[in-house]
Amino acid sequence: MNAVPEETEKIMSCPRCEHTGIEQVAASPVEGVWTVHQCERCLYTWRSTEPARRTSPEHYPPEFRMTRADIDAAPPVPAVPPLVRR
Amino acid sequence: MPFDDLRSFLDALDSHGQLLRITEEVQAEPDLAAAANAAGRIGENAPGLYFDNVAGFTDARVALNTLGSWANHAIAMGMDPLTSTKDQVAEFIRRWDDFPVAPERREDAPWRENSVEGDDINLFDLLPLFRLNDGDAGFYLDKAAVVSRDPDEPEDFDKQNVGIYRMQVKGKRRLGIQPVPVHDVALHLRMAEEQGEDLPIAITLGNDPIITLMASTPLRYDQSEYEMAGAIRQSPYPVATAPLTGFDVPWGSEVVLEGVIEGRKRELEGPFGEFTGHYSGGHSMPVVRIDKVSYRTAPVYESLYLGMPWTEVDYLIGPATCVPMYKQLKADFPEVQAVNAMYTHGLLAIISTKKRYGGFAKAVGVRAMTTPHGLGYVKMVIMVDEDVDPFNLPQVMWALSSKFNAAGDLVQLPNMSVVALDPSSSPAGVSDKVVIDATTPVIPDDRGHFSQPVRDLPETPHWVAKLTRMLAAR
Repeated sequence: MNAVPEETEKIMSCPRCEHTGIEQVAASPVEGVWTVHQCERCLYTWRSTEPARRTSPEHYPPEFRMTRADIDAAPPVPAVPPLVRR
Repeated sequence: MPFDDLRSFLDALDSHGQLLRITEEVQAEPDLAAAANAAGRIGENAPGLYFDNVAGFTDARVALNTLGSWANHAIAMGMDPLTSTKDQVAEFIRRWDDFPVAPERREDAPWRENSVEGDDINLFDLLPLFRLNDGDAGFYLDKAAVVSRDPDEPEDFDKQNVGIYRMQVKGKRRLGIQPVPVHDVALHLRMAEEQGEDLPIAITLGNDPIITLMASTPLRYDQSEYEMAGAIRQSPYPVATAPLTGFDVPWGSEVVLEGVIEGRKRELEGPFGEFTGHYSGGHSMPVVRIDKVSYRTAPVYESLYLGMPWTEVDYLIGPATCVPMYKQLKADFPEVQAVNAMYTHGLLAIISTKKRYGGFAKAVGVRAMTTPHGLGYVKMVIMVDEDVDPFNLPQVMWALSSKFNAAGDLVQLPNMSVVALDPSSSPAGVSDKVVIDATTPVIPDDRGHFSQPVRDLPETPHWVAKLTRMLAAR
């Protein structure tokens, strides 16, 4: 499939948080079928062949979008406990 | 014969006509999740699904919905696939009393065939990972039995925990993990983190159905899932020693990942579509580093679709939630007849009981909220009389509609604990709880006019048998 390199080039930013630091983390064992990408900031991970609602910033659903502030405000589960000396 | 691994269970599903093998080429997304989602929409006896032709992969085998129907749950328990839900729960209760059954150690585990370590590990190459729901942060491991030990008493077999926790694949050898505070792995992690240490864990993928059920059952902290698995499968459970951690893991797993939860570290995880039928939101959660992977040749990758109920997780976790709550209530109140806590992992439970005196059923309902599972889940209890079957929802609706009077039958308890994933909790993890008493008042509670119930005629059972015979003979 020739479309894959083209599509990869088009992915300039994370569909979810629009950060531009994107790493390719996997490629299909059958060459050229798909690639898997990950946002370095929000860790959103997607396969190039997924529907546009999951792969394109333009079509990504507003309710799942994330900003730097959302990431920083994510509450800890569970909270890190205080160190205990024995 | 009990199943020692996933493969023999898949064969049994196949022989009962309860496994669909899909051989045409499918896309990893959205086909795999959409098919498993669909399995929950085609009736109570949906089959398991097996895919071996996924676009772009050369060697992918994916099993889904293996426990996603009452027929498949019955087959997992070694019962007739036509066994009713109520009878499956009753048999689960009967076998529970055989606990503990000591496990059987077998060191010839098939996952010893292959291994990879350190920076050579790439989970994206080893497993055919895929996304489940649109808003998920990525690819998740959500049906793995995760093994950890009490850091203060690592030699205590009974305190070794086997549980299922969602894990987000975040890198070639890096995962996010959700240790919900009410679960045992969170206790282990807390102890390790208080000492500034990592918590070793073993993550086992692709397992026999009974350890999956046991890893989903809210056992007491010092009850071994392996010893309960032996009771439920009526045969010692086979375990083997994981090479890096030395932990006891299922002999028959397809893949064993070993590593640590890195102490005192948190990182963005989620959202993930959860059992509540809602996304979890994003949280800052612990991180797992994988140091060694052992795997069977040509491993089968098992995953679980979950979303708006019912999906596989509801069948999987339903009886496993009813049984311990029944046993814990029955120990204090022999009057309890049956517990149906199958709704959204027990956020709602229906309990039938005889009454000692007025107000008794309300007390049983409140007690359900203080069982170990109740503390984090039971938000609503519907109490019904002993002649109402909690598994028969039309009967339960009859009891609610005719016995319940909000003036005296509603007990509301403010600001109680609940799992933070409950989307109605506010703040997350805190909710009012309610007992809805739909039992008939007994002395000294003399409210209402219940002295003249219409009962089935004494001759009716005879006619039930006769009509059934006549229908069958047509």
